[in-house]
Amino acid sequence: MKTKFWVALATTTALAMPALAQDAIRIGVLTPLSGTYAGIGQQVRWGLELAAQEINTSGGILGRPVTLIYEDSQANPAVAMQRAERLFDVENVDFLTGTVSSGVTLAVGELAERSGRLMATTVSFADSITGARCSPNVFRVNARAGQQSVALASWLAAERPDARVFYLGPDYEMGRSTVAAFRSNAEGVGATSVGETFAPLDSADYSQYFGALRSARPDVLYTSVAGNDTVRLFTQLEDFGVRANLTVLGASGTVTSQNIAAIGAAAEGFVTGVGYSTLIDTPEHTAFLESFRAASGGADPDLYGADSYGVLFAYQAAAQMAGTTDTDALREAFRGLTWNTPQGVKTIRAGDHQAMQQMYVVRVEGGEFRIVGNVSAADAIGDDLCERF
Amino acid sequence: MLDRLDISLRANHVLFVILFTAAFVFGVMASMTGDRFYLRLATEALILSGLALSIDILLGFTGLLSLGQALFFGVGAYVSALVLREVPSFWLALGAASGASLVAGVVGGLIANRVRGVYFALITFGMAQIVAKIIYNTRSLGASDGLIGIPVVEIPLGFVTLSAGNPLEFFLVVLGGITLIYAGMSYVLSSPFGRVMIALKANEKRVPYLGYSTWAPRMVAYVLAAVIAGTVGGLYPMLRGFVSPELMFFSASGDALIMVIIGGSGTLVGAIWGAILLVAFKSVVGSWTEHHLIIVGLMFMAAVLFMKRGLIGLVKPMIERRLVRIEAAREMRKEGKAP
Amino acid sequence: MPDIMDYLQFILAPQMLNGLALGISVVLVALGLTIIFGLLDVINMSHGEFYAVGAFTALALSALGLNYWVLLALVPILLLPVGVLVERYLIRRVYDGGDRHVSTLLLTFGLALVIEDILKIIFGPNTHRPATPLPGATEILGVFIPTYRLALIGIGFVVIAAVALVVYRTRLGAMVRAASYDRNMAASLGVRVGWVYSGAYAFGIALAGLAGVLLAPIYSVFPTMGHDFILLAVTVVIVGGMGSIWGAVVAGISLTQVQAISALIISPVWGDAIIFGVMVVVLMFRPQGIFGRIGHA
Repeated sequence: MKTKFWVALATTTALAMPALAQDAIRIGVLTPLSGTYAGIGQQVRWGLELAAQEINTSGGILGRPVTLIYEDSQANPAVAMQRAERLFDVENVDFLTGTVSSGVTLAVGELAERSGRLMATTVSFADSITGARCSPNVFRVNARAGQQSVALASWLAAERPDARVFYLGPDYEMGRSTVAAFRSNAEGVGATSVGETFAPLDSADYSQYFGALRSARPDVLYTSVAGNDTVRLFTQLEDFGVRANLTVLGASGTVTSQNIAAIGAAAEGFVTGVGYSTLIDTPEHTAFLESFRAASGGADPDLYGADSYGVLFAYQAAAQMAGTTDTDALREAFRGLTWNTPQGVKTIRAGDHQAMQQMYVVRVEGGEFRIVGNVSAADAIGDDLCERF
Repeated sequence: MLDRLDISLRANHVLFVILFTAAFVFGVMASMTGDRFYLRLATEALILSGLALSIDILLGFTGLLSLGQALFFGVGAYVSALVLREVPSFWLALGAASGASLVAGVVGGLIANRVRGVYFALITFGMAQIVAKIIYNTRSLGASDGLIGIPVVEIPLGFVTLSAGNPLEFFLVVLGGITLIYAGMSYVLSSPFGRVMIALKANEKRVPYLGYSTWAPRMVAYVLAAVIAGTVGGLYPMLRGFVSPELMFFSASGDALIMVIIGGSGTLVGAIWGAILLVAFKSVVGSWTEHHLIIVGLMFMAAVLFMKRGLIGLVKPMIERRLVRIEAAREMRKEGKAP
Repeated sequence: MPDIMDYLQFILAPQMLNGLALGISVVLVALGLTIIFGLLDVINMSHGEFYAVGAFTALALSALGLNYWVLLALVPILLLPVGVLVERYLIRRVYDGGDRHVSTLLLTFGLALVIEDILKIIFGPNTHRPATPLPGATEILGVFIPTYRLALIGIGFVVIAAVALVVYRTRLGAMVRAASYDRNMAASLGVRVGWVYSGAYAFGIALAGLAGVLLAPIYSVFPTMGHDFILLAVTVVIVGGMGSIWGAVVAGISLTQVQAISALIISPVWGDAIIFGVMVVVLMFRPQGIFGRIGHA
C-alpha cells in the first residue's frame, strides 16, 4: 500500500526533473475542462496556448521557455483546492492562472498566499477578489463586475430611463457580486429594482423561477448566468413567452462567441458591458484575431480568450522588469504595470491589483455583437476598496 | 481463555499496529524528501478514515446503515471553521466541533432511531440533505462558495507545541487522534455494553429477552458515531483552510461508505485501511485517468458480492490463526508449569 | 379583484402547470423505483443511472437517424434484457445473505458508480442538448407553455394509466402481486417467482429508461443527470408509500406542486430543503408512507 505512495512520489519527481533541467517557467493552469464551464476553460486554453507559443518563438521570458501545466478545476472549490495544492507543491509552478469560478479564485488565492506564489485570474468577475477580499498575491487582468456595470448602466440611462429591473444571477460569489454591482449602478441612474433571485449553477430548468419573474412585472431583466446555463435560460425564456416584452441585459460572460450560436434567436437584442469585442479596430487586434482563429480551428476569441492571451504578456513584462521570477520582486513589478494587449493598453492598479481598461457596450443584432457605446478606463474602474495593502 | 470476539479484536489491533507503523514511517520519510502534497493528502485520508470509522460503528456493529454520516462531519468542520475564524485556538475549535456534533447527534438520533432498516438509511440521508441545503443557501455561512479565511493554528500539546501548517506535525497529530479514537472505540465495543450493541446486529428481537433495552444502545452508538465524525470533521478546516457544503453532500457520505465496505466492515480497522486505500487509489489512478470511479465501483460491488469482510477479510483469518496458536502455546506452558 | 384574477391567470396558473410537468416527470422515474421496492424489497440506488442510460441511448440512436417517437418505444424495450441480466446475475446473489435491504442497496449503489463512469467514458463528461421533438409554444388562456411540456403531461398520464392497468387489472399483474404478498404461497400455486422478480426489475428499469427519453429534451443529457432527479423520486416513493403506484402518483404531483408554489411564495432555492423535510417527517411518523404497498393495499 505504502509503496503506491512512493511509486507516485517517485514518478512525479522523475517527471519534474527534465522540466527543471530545461529551466522552463512553469505556469499552472487551473481551469474547468469539464462541466458547465468547460467552454470557458476551452477559451482560456486557446488564449494561453497561443500566447505561450508566441512568447516561446520570440525567445521566451528572461530567456526561458514557458510551459503550461493543466489541472481540471471542475468549477468546484473543494476539488480545485486539491488540484491547486498539487500544482504548487508537486508541479512546483512559478505562477498560476486560469481560475474561472469566483469562489475558486478566492479560495485558491488564499492558498497562493500560503504557498508564497502569485496568481492572476483572467475570468472571475466578483468585485470582492480585488476589493473587500483582496490578496497581495492575487491579480486580475480582466474587467470586474463593477467595471462592466458602469458601462452597462450608462447604456440603460440613455436607452431605458426609469426601467423596472429584475435580477437573476447564479447562486454563488460571482452571481451575488454581479447582481449587487449592477443593481447599485442601475439604481444610481434612476432604475427601480423589482426583485432578484438566484439559481444554482448548472440548473436544468429555469422555468420554476419564471413565476417570481412574472409577478414582479419588470421591463428589464439583468442576468449573470454563463456558459451552458445561459443557453438553457434564454431558450426557456423564449419558449415560455417571458422574453416577449423584456429587454435582457447581462454580464460580459452571459452571451459570448462561444455560446451565441447555441442560443440562436433568443440572444437577439441582448446588451452587455464588456472589456473585449471582436470588432475592436486596431492592427494589433486584427493580427491577434487571425492567429487566434488559426489556433482554435476557426473559433472567435471571446473576452476570456482575449484576457487569458494577455495575462502571459503581463507576466513577461513584469518578469523582465523585475529581472527575476522571485515572488516579492515580481509583485512589485506587477503593481502599476502597463502593458499592451489586443484590447489596447491595460494598467494594473497598485492599490487593489485590478486591471484598468477601456470598456465597451455591445448589443446582439442579427446574431452578431455590435458596439453601441464605450466608457474610458478611468470612468469605469470605480473606487479602490482593498484595505490589505 | 480467550473467546472468538477477543481473538477477533486482537487481530484488529495487530492490523492497526501495522497501519500505524507504516503511516509513521511514511510520514517521516515523506517529510525527509521534502514532500508536502502527499503528506497532506495522507493527512486528509486519515481524517476521512475517522468518518469511515464512525459509519462502521453503526453498520458493522449495530447493523444500522447511515447514508448521511457526512452531516456530522460537515457540522464539525463548519463549527470548527467558524470558531477558528474568530479565535485561532486548536482545542477550542475541536471542542466546539465535538460539542456541536454531540448535540446534532442527539437530535439526529432521536429522529432517526424511531425507525430501522431501510427507513433508517433513508432518514439519515434526508437529514444530511436538509442541513446541506440550508448551509448552501445561507450567505452568512458562505453559501455555495464555502468559508475561507481560516488561519493556520498552533496545536499546544502540553509538552510541545506543533503547527497545523507543518505537514509532518499535523500528520502526526491526526495520526495520534485516530489512534485514540480507535483505542477508545475498541475499548467501548469490548465492554459489556459494547457486546449488547453487537448483539443488536446479530438478532435484535432477542436482545429484550436478555433484559436489555434495544433503544438505548442504538442511541448511544448513533451519538458516539456522530461525535467521532464531528471531531474529525473539526480537523478538516485546519488542514485545508476551507470548508464548503460539498462536505455534507451524499457523495461525501457515499465515499465514506465505500471505504468501509472495501476495507471491511465490523472491524473498525478495516474502515481506516479502506480510507487510506481509497484516497491513495484515487490519487495514483487519478493522475493517469479521470475514470477511477468505474474501478472503485467494481471493487465495491465485488466486496458486496464476494468479500463480505472486505480486503481486511483476506488477511485477518491468517492473523487470527496465528493468535490462536500463540494463545494455545501460552496455555500449554501455563499448564506445564502448574503441576 | 382584477389584480387577483390577473395573478391567478398569469402567475399562479403557469407556475402550477409547469410544476405539473415536473411532477409527471418525477412520477415516471418513481414508478419503476416503487415497483422494484414493492416487489423485490430492493432500494434500487442505480435507478437514476438507468434513467441516464435511457437518455443517452436515445441520444446515440437519434444520431443514427432514428425518429424520436420510435425511440420512445424502442429504448425501454432495449433496457428490458439489461434489467433481467442485472437482477439474475447481480442482485439475486445477495437476496438471502444477511440484511436484504442493506446488501441490495449497497450493491446497486456500486452499480450506479460503474454505470455513471461508463457513460462518461463513452459520451464524455459534458452536457448534450437534444432538439425538442415538438418545438414552439402553445397559448393557453393568454399564457405560453412550450408544446413539448404539454405533450409530456399527456404522454405521462397515458404511461401511468397503462402501468396501473398492467399491475392491477391483468393476470400478469395478479401474479406479480401474489409473489409480492407471499413468495412461497405464490410459488406453490405455480407462479414462477424467479421470472416474476426478473421481469419486475426489468420493467422498472425500462420505465426509468422511458423517463430518460421523455425528459432529455427538457433537462439536457449528461452522465450525472440521474443524481438530482433520483433524490426527488426517492422522496416521492417514500412519501407515497414504498411499493404503492397510486401513492407515487399522488405524492409526486402534490410534492412538486408544493415546490412550485413555495418557489413563488418563499424562494425557489428552498424547494429541495422543503421536500426533504416532508420526507423526514413522513419517515418519522408514518414510515410506511401515505398509501400501502403493492399486494398489501
